Amino acid sequence: MILSHFTALTIFALIVSTVFAMITKNEPREQLRYGVFVFLSFIAVAFAVGWLMFPLPLSGYHP
Amino acid sequence: MDQGTNAESAPKPAPIQSKPMNMAATLAVCSGGWLIPGLAHILIGRWIRGLIFAACVFLMFGFGLAMHGKLYDLEFDEPLHVFAFIANVGTGIPYWVAEHLDLGVGTMNWPSYDYGTTYLWVCGLLNYLIVLDAFDIAQGRKP
Repeated sequence: MILSHFTALTIFALIVSTVFAMITKNEPREQLRYGVFVFLSFIAVAFAVGWLMFPLPLSGYHP
Repeated sequence: MDQGTNAESAPKPAPIQSKPMNMAATLAVCSGGWLIPGLAHILIGRWIRGLIFAACVFLMFGFGLAMHGKLYDLEFDEPLHVFAFIANVGTGIPYWVAEHLDLGVGTMNWPSYDYGTTYLWVCGLLNYLIVLDAFDIAQGRKP
């Protein structure tokens, strides 16, 4: 199986945010809110770090 | 000021206290939860939570193997690999089953090898957190 970076990230974020939400919160409504927050945070931080690394040279990378 | 005083004097709902299990039973339940992800919560009556946790861990483990991730053995020649082993072994029985079936060999030149290996580490670490959650519930520290 070969997943794109974004798909792998999304699946990872979805599973981890589900577990975090269910461990840290007790009420279903709180769990949903916290889970969505963690999931979106994962995606946002990944995009931010990706753009921060954009100017860096890809030395030695030969696709 | 008045609002603060009123808020403090307002009756707070009593926290739900479940009767704690004895320590031996708690440890047995947690061991079961480590060996089979989600089992601890199912044994203490949290069916839905247990099934969701099991689905998350097994799904992540399956994805990790499908992406040709590597499962680490206990090797003292490479000291840093011990940490990877500890993370991997958190998955419990699925780890040994996959090792027995030679599924977690890891193909380094596979495009998603790194992702797969990370998935395999993280699902083991998540299972440790899940077991600790079950421990807190069984001890009555958490509703």
